[in-house]
Amino acid sequence: MTTLTLAKAVNEGLRRAMEEDSKVLVMGEDVGKLGGVFRVTDGLQKEFGEDRVIDTPLAESGIIGTAIGLALRGYRPVCEIQFDGFVFPAADQIITQLAKMPLRSLGAIKLPVVVRIPCGGGIGAVEHHSESPEAYFTHTAGLRVMACSNPADAYTMIQDAVRCDDPIIFFEPKRRYWDKAEVDLAAPGLPLDRARTVRQGSDVTLLAYGPMVKTCLSAAAAAEEEGRNVEVIDLRSLNPLDLDVLVESVTRTGRCVVVHEAPVFSGFGAELAARITEHCFYNLEAPVLRVGGFSTPYPPSRLEDHYLPDLDRVLDAVDRVFAY
Amino acid sequence: MIVTAASPQILRPPPSDQDLRSLLLIRHFELALLRLFEQGAVSGTTHTCLGQEYVPVALAPLLLDEDFVFSNHRGHGHFLARHAEPYGLLAEIMGREGALCGGVGGSQHVYHRRFLSTGVQGESLPVATGVALKLAGSGALACAYVGDGTWGEGAVYEALNMAALWRLPLLVVVEHNGIAQSTPTSAQLAGTIGARAAAFGVRHHRITSTDVEEIRAELAPLVAAVRSEPAPLVAEFVTHRIGPHSKGDDTRSPAEIERARRSDWHARYAAADPERFARIDQEQRAFVDRLVAEVAARPLATPAAPPALAEEPDRIAAAGATGRRP
Repeated sequence: MTTLTLAKAVNEGLRRAMEEDSKVLVMGEDVGKLGGVFRVTDGLQKEFGEDRVIDTPLAESGIIGTAIGLALRGYRPVCEIQFDGFVFPAADQIITQLAKMPLRSLGAIKLPVVVRIPCGGGIGAVEHHSESPEAYFTHTAGLRVMACSNPADAYTMIQDAVRCDDPIIFFEPKRRYWDKAEVDLAAPGLPLDRARTVRQGSDVTLLAYGPMVKTCLSAAAAAEEEGRNVEVIDLRSLNPLDLDVLVESVTRTGRCVVVHEAPVFSGFGAELAARITEHCFYNLEAPVLRVGGFSTPYPPSRLEDHYLPDLDRVLDAVDRVFAY
Repeated sequence: MIVTAASPQILRPPPSDQDLRSLLLIRHFELALLRLFEQGAVSGTTHTCLGQEYVPVALAPLLLDEDFVFSNHRGHGHFLARHAEPYGLLAEIMGREGALCGGVGGSQHVYHRRFLSTGVQGESLPVATGVALKLAGSGALACAYVGDGTWGEGAVYEALNMAALWRLPLLVVVEHNGIAQSTPTSAQLAGTIGARAAAFGVRHHRITSTDVEEIRAELAPLVAAVRSEPAPLVAEFVTHRIGPHSKGDDTRSPAEIERARRSDWHARYAAADPERFARIDQEQRAFVDRLVAEVAARPLATPAAPPALAEEPDRIAAAGATGRRP
């Protein structure tokens, strides 16, 4: 076992993937010499050279487009989008080319491109450094969307993402980059499209991913003191969705709260709530509730604690599902 | 001596039979498509390259099998000049058996060997840049066709910047036909394409000829330099679209369309060598008639199941739905 931060775990996972396959490339803004603003690619250029770890111009659309071209030549590019809010210029290439090209060619074109996006708030940064744009990509057919929540998963998930032949949007919870945990570098992870029950419980199911998993675990611990037995599921894969695990849990607990940082309105939680309702309707003791951000641009950093869902807001939703 | 654009010029050498065949195949293919749309035999939309056929035909022998070609919405000519697959292309457009991409790509999204088209303007350039990144030094190049309207798209400049910075074998072919759908170049392009290329230190060459041999003589050394240096090149063709943007949506005045027609290679080649031209024209017309009849009679394409992409949530839902009251 090795103690790793989440950022270092992704770094180690990328290193392992690059050692394993010489076709794996890393590219993005300041990923080489600097090692990325969060140092996730630290040391990789020194180890693998400038041909495999490419510092690009500030050109998100160009980065993803170039990665698609590299994938057409048999490479497996891992692109870093420096901050969540910078992915929008790349949306054109991601949505119109990366997601659609394999489908349009009936699978003849494989685009094993991983787009890594540090996401979410909580680091006292500005709006375009703190966003949660996952719903734009889960809405786009043809993309896998993954979100890691802890160092051990981050280490295996990034490797599985690189090995996968499908285009993947890979979200990393930036405020958890410095969280440490013991990681077994030899242990295989869960398959990349499987959810994980991170805490078992019998009274209510919390569905979360990325940064909110930790928040939900804290809420579950607090709820236990009030005699409520809370189950927490880390989705890990947003598309495809490991619905069996979710449905089994909610069928058992009868209550469900979905938690994410992104605005609730039209957020990914709406999809989860709808799916759970479709599958568990007769087992539900209460409507599926959603906890998330507000329908406003991400606020200035001194206000972000009011914006981000925290333990109290999760516990409030738990109280409300019990009040039905 | 007054020389008009339609005057027969002295051509050295005249176009080969093969070039005339290729030019006239594309001409009749496009005309046939417009007829098929009129008859309601094709759904969706299409963009024909009438008047611009000579551009890909001139480029054809300058490109190698190892090269990648990225095409755009007006791409049938680009494809037919490079690949002898008119049946596959028409079947793709008509969604019939034998379609190049199972009929799911259609007119604007053709993938065949190293040919790939997309209808969204400018998007191919960064992709071509990525392909060129790992072609540098191999002698092969990535060629991307764009129009003058495409120069309004930011992706063009992100790609040019990277291609220049990284010295990539990227050949950008600009079919500058003076009109972006309905908007004349004068209303949508500030400055010039040449000056924009120059700003990136990218070589630019403007071609006014519509003669395939003359164009090849001009471009051959420049394309060779793209491969050998390697370095990007913007080859800007001053060309004319004599048909509509799509189908029946030409907003130009009859006088403007007539001006475009006067530049058409067709009349000039026909006048230069009437007998040979008429023979090959008849041959290609008959070929396209047979092609259309055969492909139209084919059953609809039944593409295989979608590839193993992310599992559809809907499919999981269908499999796991429990619609019964417990």
